Amino acid sequence: MTITLKNIRKAFKTNTVLEDVSLSVATGETLVLFGPSGAGKTVLLRLIAGVIEPDAGEIHVNGQNMAGVEPEDRGIGMAFQNFALFPHMDAFANIAAPLTARHQSKAVMKDTVEKVARLLKIDHVLHHKPKELSNGQKQRTALARALSAAPSILLLDDPLRNVDAKLRFEMRLELPRLLKDQNATVIYVTQDYKEAMALGHRIAVMNDHGIQQIGTPQDIYLSPANTDIARLFGDPVITLLDVVPERRAGQVVALISDTAIPLLEDYAPQIGQACILGLRPEALRFVSEDTPGAIPVEVEAETPLNEKTVTLALTLRGREIMVSRPAGTPGPTSGRAHIAVDAASAILFDRASGRRIAPVHKIIRKEEVA
Amino acid sequence: METTSPVERLLRGIAITLVCLFFMFPIVWIVLMSFQTNETILRVPPSVIFAPTLENYTALITGKLETQAGTLDIDFMGNLWNSLFLSTASVAIGLILGVPAAYAFARLKFRGSEDIAFTLLSFRFAPPLLVLLPLTIYFQQLGLANTYGGLIWVYQLIVLPLILWIVRGYFEDIPADIEYAYRIAGHDFWSTFRRIALPLAGPGIAAAGLLSFIFAWNNFVFALVLASADKQPVTVGALAFVTASGIQYGQVAAGIVLSIAPTFALALYAQRYLVEGLSLGAVKG
Amino acid sequence: MTIQLSLKSVDKFYGPVGKGVHAVKDITMAVPKGDIIALLGSSGCGKTSTLRMIAGFEAVSRGTIELAGKQVQTLPPVRRNVAMAFEGYSLYPTVSVRDNIAFALKASRLAEAEVARRVGHVADMLEITDILDRFPFSISGGQQQRASLARALVRDADLHLLDEPMGQLEPQLRTLLRGRIKHYIKERGLTAILVTHDQTEANALADRIAVMEGGVLQQYGSPAEIKERPANLFTGTFVGEPPMNVFAATASVSGGTLTFDLTGGLDLRYAESAFDPRVRKMVLDRKQVMIGVRPYAVHRAEQGAAARVVANQWLGDQSHIAASFAGKTIVLVEHDRAHLTEGEPIKVEIKPQDLHIFDPTSGLALSHGNELAA
Repeated sequence: MTITLKNIRKAFKTNTVLEDVSLSVATGETLVLFGPSGAGKTVLLRLIAGVIEPDAGEIHVNGQNMAGVEPEDRGIGMAFQNFALFPHMDAFANIAAPLTARHQSKAVMKDTVEKVARLLKIDHVLHHKPKELSNGQKQRTALARALSAAPSILLLDDPLRNVDAKLRFEMRLELPRLLKDQNATVIYVTQDYKEAMALGHRIAVMNDHGIQQIGTPQDIYLSPANTDIARLFGDPVITLLDVVPERRAGQVVALISDTAIPLLEDYAPQIGQACILGLRPEALRFVSEDTPGAIPVEVEAETPLNEKTVTLALTLRGREIMVSRPAGTPGPTSGRAHIAVDAASAILFDRASGRRIAPVHKIIRKEEVA
Repeated sequence: METTSPVERLLRGIAITLVCLFFMFPIVWIVLMSFQTNETILRVPPSVIFAPTLENYTALITGKLETQAGTLDIDFMGNLWNSLFLSTASVAIGLILGVPAAYAFARLKFRGSEDIAFTLLSFRFAPPLLVLLPLTIYFQQLGLANTYGGLIWVYQLIVLPLILWIVRGYFEDIPADIEYAYRIAGHDFWSTFRRIALPLAGPGIAAAGLLSFIFAWNNFVFALVLASADKQPVTVGALAFVTASGIQYGQVAAGIVLSIAPTFALALYAQRYLVEGLSLGAVKG
Repeated sequence: MTIQLSLKSVDKFYGPVGKGVHAVKDITMAVPKGDIIALLGSSGCGKTSTLRMIAGFEAVSRGTIELAGKQVQTLPPVRRNVAMAFEGYSLYPTVSVRDNIAFALKASRLAEAEVARRVGHVADMLEITDILDRFPFSISGGQQQRASLARALVRDADLHLLDEPMGQLEPQLRTLLRGRIKHYIKERGLTAILVTHDQTEANALADRIAVMEGGVLQQYGSPAEIKERPANLFTGTFVGEPPMNVFAATASVSGGTLTFDLTGGLDLRYAESAFDPRVRKMVLDRKQVMIGVRPYAVHRAEQGAAARVVANQWLGDQSHIAASFAGKTIVLVEHDRAHLTEGEPIKVEIKPQDLHIFDPTSGLALSHGNELAA
């Protein structure tokens, strides 16, 4: 089942939530909608589910226009962020809800519910009411309910948000297999960039009423479309420094702490223009003073973060740079130190628009070869 | 904040007892009165020690009111039955009409929905007498005066706004996501209303039903004007106790006890549902 | 080191003592002056009940609470000199954000200029300067939360209690504010207790973490202690992202090789000499043990136990790899991008110093690497 959205617009009274959103998801694909709260991710899911109607634009499922099709006729499974379990029904009845609608026999229903419950490890609590379930069990029940009728389209609205870190991690590992077995087309909403990168075949980054970038996790992390997206992915956050590329000794460089940082030759058109240089903390490393291109910095503070050591350093002009390295590896804890930048991993943005400047190397090199 | 000081606990106990006495006194006193004759009730000073008698209840149930001036026929049991029938029927019709309407006002925000809902509520503001005079004329012309149907219809003025506003609030408290989830699971609008919205608003519907029953039961003015003896509820029928030879306090008290008994029983029964409350543990993460 | 707050054998029953729901069980802990303590646990673990007992909103069923040298468990909240930021914000709706923050300061008859200075300072730190003159209903949940936090932090109380103070904030802002709040608390020498379910927050802010589960204090120690020497299986698997790998094993020794036979037909072999004699003896005495290893300590190697990749998730700065191993799943983390596909066989190596050994019945830690657990 494919899902195609064409120029969707949705506003609540005067508050525009979605503006001209187009998107297509292929059969069996998991597309993650990622973005800060209020970006319209949930609204988009609800439009696809059919519980609200778009103001303009079309939603097609497998080529069929969904306008006027009731939610119960769309053949969709959905899990809600707040679980939305039916409080007066036990877990079994909750999971069986999509099956009762399809008028299946009691025996088939029992089999199906038990199978999906075993898969999600909640078969021992099927006769508990939602209020007797732990948070993790509620989340699994909600997921089981979405899966039980084996829908070919699954909409998952931040289903791991309200569960603890351990369970969230386990589910992050389990979900891709589960979804693959279902062979469903999945749209998954999350605010956690790690979840987005782990689960998505592609990620659509939403912000400002629309989709700002859509691509594989690799595309988004390594080539973010703008500084906002660069800041949303990565922990600790990417360091963004104002620079003006220039040419020194035949190389395109940017100056940090009066040290010339070599950039790719492909950034030659940006010489003399106001740019922002993005440096991922893990792309920086501490080096000895005599390493060519070493940037002198002052180490400010060191904090542990998930098995990494994050160092906050100041350049000679007092600009903050974050450097991370695996915990337990040696590094300076205070005073003067030197860091090196790998030219290939530096990302350049236009300062006025915040947009990434795509290196134009392929074209140039081909011309050179010719 | 709990405290463990024994002095405070004692003081609190005394305070609670006083409050209970204050609120319970009229009811207890009336129950006591209903087992006394007019003479023991009216003696000065009053006393709680007396020889209990069932003659007030016998009089009410047999319909023979003994006064100094002789025996009066009253139809108290008929009145009681009228009250029961009128209130039950009004509430039933009120629920059938009011609950779906409340759902519509809660969920389907249509143009003017707020205005309509408010207009319905405003019926409760209007002084009943203002409505009654023109209504009496129309009812007589339509042949609805002194019929159960007519009374039940008028009672909707009391019952419907109450049900509408209470139940609407409960419907609004059900997270829309729960209903969406049921729709998406493949159930149509009506079965979602029946299987999800109705059970979850159950306590609210019970509360509204009980409250409107009490209001309907206690209504006096509508029935006084629109019903004659054979259709009168107890509230109007109680006027018969004010006789030429004085007020029959004992029988009035017994009448009150009998007439509050059904609502009391209903309240006790419904309490279970009222207290149960909406358990939305499934929604709050 | 002066003790600012001390809980001694504190119990909380909802309902009659001894019969009702036993929400907090016999908690004893001491908080040094100037420390930040995190009460960490999942929902329903008793952390909020503990906090509310300290604040005075819940009666203490048994035990004593001593704050700044005096017993407070029977005092009403107002007489405990405690500042609290509520999870539900609880801002006064009828006054502006500024007056909300200044409320307690004004009540303590501080000079107007001083009040303004302090409010300005804390508002600056929490980035709410622009909404100081707005009213609570007109600002977002995240802003309300910061206003509530400011209202607590601005006071000079003996103890600051922060209940999930950053739950509503965007991740980027949360990272930024953690550092600032820690700096603010330390600079002013405040003592603070933070209730959170987020271990990243606890690790970043707290000097010590009190891990709670089932109403019981599982472990109370510095973030490093909890990571390196988890007191029991619960703490070991609860704290740490991704969580610790745990396997049941049977230990045996022959010909100088110490073997852990894992219940999936796999075994881990070590030279007997790699273990401290006391650890070795303990393991061999017990035979049946649970072994735990952090995902960061599992390495791919030429020589090692066989595993098969089931998932490989790249998160930009690290890769999380799950592999089927001894009938279960083992998770390993690499700092570079791992190019592994599903189904690919790998060999994993676990160094003896990275093994945590637990008692299989009580779950208590027996050894960490080459040291016996205390």
